[in-house]
Amino acid sequence: MNKTIIININGIVFHIEEDAYEVLKNYMTDVKRHFMNSADSLEITTDIENRIAEMFNELLAKENKQVIVEQDVKSVIEQMGTVEDFEHAEEDTKASFSNTYYNTEGRRLFRDPDDRLVGGVCAGIANYFDIDTVWVRLAFALSLLFAGSGLILYIILWIVIPKAVTRADRMAMKGEKLNLQGFKKNFEEELGSMRDNLSNFRHDARPFVYKARDFVGDFFHHLGVFFNGAGKILLKLIGIFILLCCFGFTVFLIVAFVALLGFGSFAPFHDLPYNLLRHHHAEYIYTSAFLVAFIPLLSIILITLKGIFNTGSISRSTGTIVLVIWLFALSVLVFNITKIASDFRSSASFSETINITPAKDNTYHLKLNDLKYFTAEDSTRLNIKNLKPNIRVTDDPYDYNDYEHFQYRNVHISIEKSDVNQPVLEESYRARGNGYEDALLNARNTKYIFSQQDSILKFDYRLYPLKDDLWHDEELYITLKMPLNSKLVIDENLNNMLQNADIYNCKVINKQDKATSATFMMTDNGLQCKVDTLVTDTIIRKHLPVDSSKNLKK
Amino acid sequence: MIVENTQTQMRKGVLEYCILSTIAKGEIYASDIIAELKKAQLLVVEGTLYPLLTRLKNNGLLSYNWVESTSGPPRKYYVLSEEGKKVLEQLDKTWQELAFAVQTSIGDRKVK
Repeated sequence: MNKTIIININGIVFHIEEDAYEVLKNYMTDVKRHFMNSADSLEITTDIENRIAEMFNELLAKENKQVIVEQDVKSVIEQMGTVEDFEHAEEDTKASFSNTYYNTEGRRLFRDPDDRLVGGVCAGIANYFDIDTVWVRLAFALSLLFAGSGLILYIILWIVIPKAVTRADRMAMKGEKLNLQGFKKNFEEELGSMRDNLSNFRHDARPFVYKARDFVGDFFHHLGVFFNGAGKILLKLIGIFILLCCFGFTVFLIVAFVALLGFGSFAPFHDLPYNLLRHHHAEYIYTSAFLVAFIPLLSIILITLKGIFNTGSISRSTGTIVLVIWLFALSVLVFNITKIASDFRSSASFSETINITPAKDNTYHLKLNDLKYFTAEDSTRLNIKNLKPNIRVTDDPYDYNDYEHFQYRNVHISIEKSDVNQPVLEESYRARGNGYEDALLNARNTKYIFSQQDSILKFDYRLYPLKDDLWHDEELYITLKMPLNSKLVIDENLNNMLQNADIYNCKVINKQDKATSATFMMTDNGLQCKVDTLVTDTIIRKHLPVDSSKNLKK
Repeated sequence: MIVENTQTQMRKGVLEYCILSTIAKGEIYASDIIAELKKAQLLVVEGTLYPLLTRLKNNGLLSYNWVESTSGPPRKYYVLSEEGKKVLEQLDKTWQELAFAVQTSIGDRKVK
């Protein structure tokens, strides 16, 4: 069974087999090209075509068949004669049209595109003088040693010497006589070179700029060729680099994935984003995240292997399955991320006021609570109650190895002047959640421990979650309202939490760098560093607005 | 090369004369001209004939008539024009001279 093509030769329709058609087409393009330069080319080729059609008809009639096969075409061509056959009968005709264009006697200087390393200049020169290209190249290579003069010469020659584009150029370049056998090339190529030929005629009249532009184009073309050739090694190196990167990343992914799965909800990381998803089906999220990252990585590895090293490939069905898995994992991941993000949709806050017993000398010591608090369950479990009285479990906020409850460190303290003659502590809890109620619930599920021992006010540096460990962006804004002229001795440990007082600065002003605390006074203008000297203009004052609303607000 | 070249030149010169002679016998189709020339062992392939015919026609030595064909496209049947006839007469004369010249120069030499 063979595919046939329907062709139309000057109004007569033929069924012709595909390979026979190819032969015929090539023959006709040869013939057309052969007569191309003749003034009567159309008439001649039409005559030939008509005759071919007639011969086909005769063949079909004789053998009583309907389809022209390759053998038929060959016999017709044999009868009609090939281009080589035409040559003999036509020497004079040919000479009359080709001699006007090409000087077949002697050689012409062209750049040789067939035998070139860079621009074909050396090969062209070698052709012109009929010597071995190697010597010309050697001469240029040696001339490079003389301050690179050869390079400049080469570039100039590259610009000046035209490239041998057409076959005729190439023959003229090598001093060969033009003969029609030499013209046997397929039609597409010849058409292309004909176009180039035409533009070449224009080239001769072109100013230098255009030639230079051609040179630049040529240069990049050859650069491309260089990268294509010598760059193949480079490409391989890049491929190896990509593969190594991908393998490294894959190993990292697998280790991270196994580690996360292994630790499960006891993941050692309590920072973002791990603390967000400790209970939200963490394993699924880890798995899908792993797949989402791993599958493209695997694809890159496979594509690199296939593209650069031409080995290894996966079947279409496997590819489809992997793609489906990837899409599934991606959707799981997106779904969960959306779900988690929705837990932060709204925020809520509420405030609580605590009265502070006034100290006798109106002096208060603000300190960091370094005692660790345990829930009832924890203290039972850890057997805290049975500890000896002189043993304390301390809690140091500056010990950054303590990552637990890191997220509850959002405690901010600001100190303001009290309207009444009584120190008051306002605690404003804030949290986020999926909807206002949820947010409010989250805010209420937070505990803060503030304690007073006579004149000592102890602040904890963190919030304690009452219910679950998940992070909801809980924050606590403490507003300490002190009566006028109260004296506050603030421990430097509180500095990070304080919003409107800079203990270190105050220490510097008082030249007490080594002190562990600084003294502030409550004035009409708010809290100010108490300066022991008489200098009063070095006032440190920070006034940050603090939400002191006593009502629940959204 | 030189031999081939001379052969080509000789053939070429004779070819046009032969074509004109063939056509002079009467209205004739290109492939029939070929058949005649093949018989005379001057031409081997048809394709070479068409450019020659076209050129002779353009030089005003030939003209042609379209004749409908049962086995394909209409055929060109060539005839000699008046000028062609004159040229042929001249060529006849030249050929006689040439033949005489060749015959004379070969002389007694045996030609295989």
